[in-house]
Amino acid sequence: MEEYSVVGKSVERTDGRVKVTGKAKYAGDLVAPGMLHAKLLRSPLAHAKILSIDVSRAEALPGVMAIITGRDFPGIPYGTRPDTRDQLPMPITKVHHFGEGVAAVAAVDEDTAEEALDLITVDYEELPVVLTAEDALKPDAPPVNEFSKSNIAYSSNFLFGDVEKGFKEADYIREETFSSQRVTVGFIEPHACLAEVDPTGRVLLQGSKQSPYITWRHMCRGMEIPLSGMRIVNPFVGGGFSGKHDPFDVDFAAVKLAQRTGRPVKIVLNNDEVLAAYRQRNAMDARLKIGVKKNGSITALKAECILEGGPICGIGPFNIYYFGAFLNIPYKIPAIEYHGKLVYSNRAPCGTVRGQEIVLAQFALDSLIHMVAEDLRVDQVEIRHINAVTDNWRTANGMMVDVSGLQECIQRSAEKIGWKESRKGRPKGRGIGFSCASHPSGPRLGGHFGSSVMLKLVEDGKVIVTHGGTEIGQGANTVFCQMAAEVLGLPFEDMIQGVSDSDTTIFDSGMFGDRCTYWDGNATIAAANDLKRQLAVIAAKELQASPEDLEFKNRRIFLKGKPEKGIDFLLAVRRAYYERGEPLYGKGYWAATDIDIVDWKTGKGNLAHGLDFIATGIEVEVDRETGKVKLIKGVHGDDAGQPINPLMLEGQVNGGSAHMTGHALTEESLYDEKGRALNYTWRDYKQPTSMDVPEYRVEHVHTHDPYGPFGAKGAGEASSCSTLAAIANGVYDAVGVRIKDLPITPEKILKALREKEAK
Amino acid sequence: MRREEIALKVNGINYRVSIEPWRTLLEVLRETLGLTGTKKSCNEGECGACTVMMDGKAVASCLVLAVDAQEKEILTIEGLAEGEKLHPIQEAFLKHGGIQCGFCTPGMVMSAKALLDENPQPTTAEIRKAISGNLCRCTGYQHIVDSIMAASGMMNSKA
Amino acid sequence: MFIKRLPRFEYHVSTSLSDALRLLAEYGENARVFAGGTDLLVSMKKRETLPKHLINLKGIADLKGIYDDEEKGIRIGALTTLEEIEHSRMIREKFGALWDAVSVMASPQVRSLGTIGGNLCSAVPSADTAPPLIALGASVKMVGGHGERSVAVENFFKGPKESILQKNEILTQVLIPKPLEKSSGAYLKLMRSNATDLALVGVAAYLRLDPKKRVCSEARIALGAVAPTPIRAMEAEKVLINKKIGEELAEEAGSAASTVCHPISDIRSSLEYRCSMVEVLTKRAVMETFRRIA
Repeated sequence: MEEYSVVGKSVERTDGRVKVTGKAKYAGDLVAPGMLHAKLLRSPLAHAKILSIDVSRAEALPGVMAIITGRDFPGIPYGTRPDTRDQLPMPITKVHHFGEGVAAVAAVDEDTAEEALDLITVDYEELPVVLTAEDALKPDAPPVNEFSKSNIAYSSNFLFGDVEKGFKEADYIREETFSSQRVTVGFIEPHACLAEVDPTGRVLLQGSKQSPYITWRHMCRGMEIPLSGMRIVNPFVGGGFSGKHDPFDVDFAAVKLAQRTGRPVKIVLNNDEVLAAYRQRNAMDARLKIGVKKNGSITALKAECILEGGPICGIGPFNIYYFGAFLNIPYKIPAIEYHGKLVYSNRAPCGTVRGQEIVLAQFALDSLIHMVAEDLRVDQVEIRHINAVTDNWRTANGMMVDVSGLQECIQRSAEKIGWKESRKGRPKGRGIGFSCASHPSGPRLGGHFGSSVMLKLVEDGKVIVTHGGTEIGQGANTVFCQMAAEVLGLPFEDMIQGVSDSDTTIFDSGMFGDRCTYWDGNATIAAANDLKRQLAVIAAKELQASPEDLEFKNRRIFLKGKPEKGIDFLLAVRRAYYERGEPLYGKGYWAATDIDIVDWKTGKGNLAHGLDFIATGIEVEVDRETGKVKLIKGVHGDDAGQPINPLMLEGQVNGGSAHMTGHALTEESLYDEKGRALNYTWRDYKQPTSMDVPEYRVEHVHTHDPYGPFGAKGAGEASSCSTLAAIANGVYDAVGVRIKDLPITPEKILKALREKEAK
Repeated sequence: MRREEIALKVNGINYRVSIEPWRTLLEVLRETLGLTGTKKSCNEGECGACTVMMDGKAVASCLVLAVDAQEKEILTIEGLAEGEKLHPIQEAFLKHGGIQCGFCTPGMVMSAKALLDENPQPTTAEIRKAISGNLCRCTGYQHIVDSIMAASGMMNSKA
Repeated sequence: MFIKRLPRFEYHVSTSLSDALRLLAEYGENARVFAGGTDLLVSMKKRETLPKHLINLKGIADLKGIYDDEEKGIRIGALTTLEEIEHSRMIREKFGALWDAVSVMASPQVRSLGTIGGNLCSAVPSADTAPPLIALGASVKMVGGHGERSVAVENFFKGPKESILQKNEILTQVLIPKPLEKSSGAYLKLMRSNATDLALVGVAAYLRLDPKKRVCSEARIALGAVAPTPIRAMEAEKVLINKKIGEELAEEAGSAASTVCHPISDIRSSLEYRCSMVEVLTKRAVMETFRRIA
């Protein structure tokens, strides 16, 4: 294993100091001279025609500067794919879900804007509501989205390998259904946006947005602004978890009101608005049938899945493909048949959430693996060892596993959680559950999918790093600085995190799918190498050597192996700027074209590099009288290739798992029979507190990814994918009841215990 | 229904502001005094993002009327460091990975300070209880607990 | 539908009880008193309550303090915050059930604001201080235009968010009788998450044992969140009186308690689960109280 100077060290975050002193500015903290405040009027109905909106009384309120509705936009639908353009900035003919914004008011202060909302009259005609996937698929179901005739928004069907043969060869077959509930994303910072229009008409957007590129292209289309007409500068973002990629009515309305009034407009939501009307995770119903040999090795898998996604397609088509695609990993499955459907409904619009659909697929698959292992009397850890993918494994649907540390992940997490000892004896009501998972390091998608980084070398020898991504807490800024420092042979302190401004940085496609370390990291290395080349030419002249023979280390540029035959890094910089008038900036990009743009309908192709692997063991205790589940300890064996910043990596692993403990046990977004949200405040939507999560421990399994920056893989999302099944399996191990419909509530456990005792 | 002129003492500085009685302390800190370090999220006392210290106790500033905060010593995140010198709790958070997106951080740090001022050597269970009113979605709380434990160690070795 | 910024109101600071009462009388229906504001301000942000006048009671000395009277017991001023109660070693030792309750209410940053008076006057069925105070035989003192009156906490509640406190009255003190020998109490709260949550079910138990026979001579069981108001479960108490406390008896008491509760199903929990949990928590509260006496 190579020894690095900066990479691989748990250096302090570049943004840590500003955050811990309260100086970091988030969208809601920004102010601009002459700024107006805007608020959104929201629909109390889940599905209704908008007959009329009367804003006259509100307009007459002193201090109100402008009011807009959906009709103020061009009416051009946008969407993730050209064939799924089904979203409008704000609704025009009808509302599709409870809390959908129907009008926006800009006023001189927030109180006036709020008051104005009460003076707007909306005339609705209620329409029948589609709540669940079942509702959506009924032959007489009302159509939910006006841009689609069918309530089936997308479908994915694939067949790889010989499934029939696989089941014939199986010694044992088991089929089960699983379901998962609506949950919200749950970041702590509510949506917020400050929009301004400069005198030339260019828009400046500073919002709590996770992926400026996605925001930008949808907004430009939906508002008929040329791509060059919108500039996005990212403030700090208070958590994204994939709930902040798309532009929302918040962003559209702020821009439109800024255009209308000629003044900056700020909209900041209260968190209850976020829980009621913004991105949630698809509800899922799945049926899995697995065939295995006596020793537990898998011979075939057949899966069906329905995802209910709210009234938009959004990223749903990708989700429905992903569910099936990631049934292929982390276990070796020679043959797989998959049918997936995404349906519309009148609940809150879905995007995806930390771990994406792999979270749901793995819940089903790893629960089923546990059941099958039990039936066959194969040890839970053993069955995972038997099936775990290894290096250079190609899945049935064509995904390539370059490097897999999964075997070691399984072994180490089993050891640390005390698996063997627990089999000999454990206190009553205690159990351990396992699950493995894998997450790719950024898929190749259609369109603008590359990442690019710019490094500006300042005359004093410091490097300003700017990239097209967004720091949402995952540590993007820091790892790129580490990588650039490593390549250039500079200490970490010489790197300065620059501002992500679309006028000077090129966007990458977004902060999702674990792509950031990998794609932007490789772009960083390319940019650093570009800079290195320029400096090498200058130093080579100075040292009368060949640029290829030079090494960069400890702020020096010298002949390889002869540090005394060199010059200071700073000298090369000054030569360039002051003697040659040559500015030094390095640009680099990374866009893997050796992986495939997969057809989401059929699923074949090698979607991504850098599959990271995790094996999670969670120890639980179940109170047989109250049904309450206590999470005692969580151990994750994680293969993220070469960890760039081990402390930050652990933080990601812990966080993803803790997030999903809520999904597993206490979170559910509830609706009444008319589609109205019921529990849209944190008083009744229970996210895990510090007293709800277990003590976590991460075991780093070092591997070296051949395509990853310094051999690293993405790390942000694997633990989200392995936690649900680990908890479900732990509950089973503790008290012998299997809950297949999330969340695993005390009531469900007690009911299952009673049924078990009755037998 | 008129504005009142009130005196607020925040981070050791005396301010004189003219505000309506229906303004919360959170709003006055952020909007009138420009101290945006304290965050607003749920606005109903459920998330802890707005936690500040008032007369030595951690309080949810979204539930305190600004007019009611007169004659009290208010400490916000901006008042913790002394110039460039960070408070040990802040140093610990930086060193032990207690910060990711940073939005819960100001409230979390203030809850930690309230705890350590009263209980300089807490157990991990006591730490988890002290921050049980501060929601975090990023970290899973482990590094935050580690940071507060480390801060307690740092502060006690100095004593 | 959604939480907003506070509505407009006129703000008054009272320095004495008579001043506060005068303001209440003057503004009648349009006025509300407030202490911690942790319930009232949220209700106002939701536009559920829209008082035109807010009367701040926190300046009134008569409403503050915890006074330990050797003979009579303790008097807790209505303005005493939950955090002050949590930090009172005396209350932890002598009135454990009340201490149990405050230590699991809301969050630290809300406990430092919320008051015992405020919690009682909110009169929500799940008010955590109510079952322990009922079990401890506590009473509250109210002062109004017509003078003073006292009422047992178990008779203080009328319905959800409704108490017998008149519009022109202010709750001033909570009185808990001196703890007797061989007695103790406990409060158990069942929540969805392990912190910062309302009670799905709350059970308080108080037992006194006859020193000679180790038999239960007095028992009071109170239930929260499982009826329109906090209630006493006398059926459960009858099971325990004059008997030796043990697991089986505690279970019986639990069974009996579940027959008197009449909870609802709501987004937090189902009726059936709440009834079952009354059984479980009553049994556990009785056993815990028994353990504390020993």
